[in-house]
Amino acid sequence: MKNRLIDPTILAVAAGAIALSFAYPAMPGWVTFLLQIAIAASLPALGCMILLRAGLLSFGQGFFYFVGAYALALLYQHFGITDAFLGIVVGAVVSAVFAGLLGFFIARYRGIFFAMLTLAITMVAYGIAVKMDLFGRSDGLNVGRLTYLGFSPSREQSGFALFLLCVWIWAVFGVLTHLYLRSRFGKLISAIEDNETRIEYLGWSVKKAVHINYMVAAVLGSAGGALVAASAHYADPSLSYWTTSGEFVFIVLISGQANVLSPLFGSVFLELMRTYATAYFPDEWQLILGGVMLVIILFLPSGLGHLFVLGRRVLLNRQSPSQTGPRS
Amino acid sequence: MNLAQIILIDGIAYAGWLFLVAIGLTLVFGVLRLINIAHGGFYAIGAYVAAYAIGASVDAGFSTGVQLLLAFGGAVLVGGLLGLVLERTVLVRLYDHPEVLVLFATYALFLMLEDITKLVFGGASLYAFQPRNAFGMVDLGPLAYPVYDVLTVAIAVIVALGTWFVLNRTRTGKCVIAVVHDREMSASMGVNVAAIMTGTFVVGTMLGAFAGAVTAPKIAVNPGIGVEVIVLAFAVIVIGGLGSIGGAVVGALVVGLARALATHLFPDLAVFAVYAVMALVLAIRPYGLFARPIARKI
Repeated sequence: MKNRLIDPTILAVAAGAIALSFAYPAMPGWVTFLLQIAIAASLPALGCMILLRAGLLSFGQGFFYFVGAYALALLYQHFGITDAFLGIVVGAVVSAVFAGLLGFFIARYRGIFFAMLTLAITMVAYGIAVKMDLFGRSDGLNVGRLTYLGFSPSREQSGFALFLLCVWIWAVFGVLTHLYLRSRFGKLISAIEDNETRIEYLGWSVKKAVHINYMVAAVLGSAGGALVAASAHYADPSLSYWTTSGEFVFIVLISGQANVLSPLFGSVFLELMRTYATAYFPDEWQLILGGVMLVIILFLPSGLGHLFVLGRRVLLNRQSPSQTGPRS
Repeated sequence: MNLAQIILIDGIAYAGWLFLVAIGLTLVFGVLRLINIAHGGFYAIGAYVAAYAIGASVDAGFSTGVQLLLAFGGAVLVGGLLGLVLERTVLVRLYDHPEVLVLFATYALFLMLEDITKLVFGGASLYAFQPRNAFGMVDLGPLAYPVYDVLTVAIAVIVALGTWFVLNRTRTGKCVIAVVHDREMSASMGVNVAAIMTGTFVVGTMLGAFAGAVTAPKIAVNPGIGVEVIVLAFAVIVIGGLGSIGGAVVGALVVGLARALATHLFPDLAVFAVYAVMALVLAIRPYGLFARPIARKI
């Protein structure tokens, strides 16, 4: 068995995180903000990717995004707790508990029924958040400057600290998820889509596996939510609206499901597109988003990540044309 | 006693509307096996076309009947043509793709339709109350109710009966049912499956646009009406059982009554009534009320 920690993906995540940390001073503000938002959105999308690999379409990742964001915001507003890590941990625990309880019900369902029930959960949360004063109604809650395990950055430092938080939280969750997906239990996920009955014959419980993956996706979603609330400095109920959840699935469809890094690429792509589209075509943003989505689905149904595969194939063909290249 | 009557009337009125919105969706699912999120877009287009037609014909001084005829006819025509174009250009390439991709392709279409509607009709609200006001009110037991809303229920019943008749008493309808049951077998029996699928999709979009047109005089037609409707319509057909017309009737009644009950007894919970009912139904019948369970493949 190879050393499990020397792995291209883990090396890429670590190298990327270190490079981004040092590149911060060189990047303009809008780029770092865009990256932070993209990083935040890619975590729930990563959860969607796990569920999609199991053939489960979740329209409810927004709920855990919402829980993560509001855990941080509520602690900040009502308890005066400004620690970012504590906020993330509380959000993750609350999400895991919610997902653990809801999972007993949800894990029985597949296909459109799974999608509709997850959608129902997220919409109920949206309805509650819009109506309750505790959650700041439709205005949401503000999140001010955060502290990090007792370290309280000054005004100048706080942007950098926030950026580091986003990058390294992603790195930690990305590596953990990668290890999870590589484990034996992680390999079970795609088998759920292929054939549930056979898994049961092998002695695993499909229901339990779906339940656990639902919880994993929930924790990833809440971590992303905490990051988006910290970056945008507020949390509002629209995080829990079903179209937000739809966006996370869309990110995975853009990028493909090859690797834990895929949703990050998809998310950066989506945010770049959003930034340019809203700047140049503010009223036609949905038209552009829909158009790009449709083109990708029609011509690259495995996602943009498939371009890498195609590119590699072209390169390999050039090296050894006798293997697969067409011969006249 | 009075309250019970009010809830019943409100619930049935709401159910009629829900059925109109959901019927096209469930029909399309039954035949094409695809969840058409773009249905909400067709609903919005129908509403806009109708509101525009009513506005124009009021300016021209036409009578209420002509107003509605133009509104409904225009909406159905536009919805059907657009549906035909989209099915032939986009969906036809997607039938072999996995379910999730097709779902998101229709979501993409929905987003595009929303912006196109906005570009064509502008972002401002359109109002088309004239026909509804022209019909006046009628006394229904304890309360005065707009005649137009009662007519909506009548239209829903006519649409339901018409769909039932076409599916069960005509040759084309029987071919549709055959395709629903087994696509390959029907093809081998000489049914033109591709034509049935295109036709059903077009009828589905026509029904979506028609639902929008019927609704237009009751609401302020503005961007965003499609998003709200699509979730409700999904809830209705999921409760009833995907692809089942009878299920859509029952689903609409269940959701309509639940919502009326919640609105009158627990106003704060009205938003959740739909989802609560859906979760409850699925807890008891995991595939909806009128769906056959699917055998597990080994």
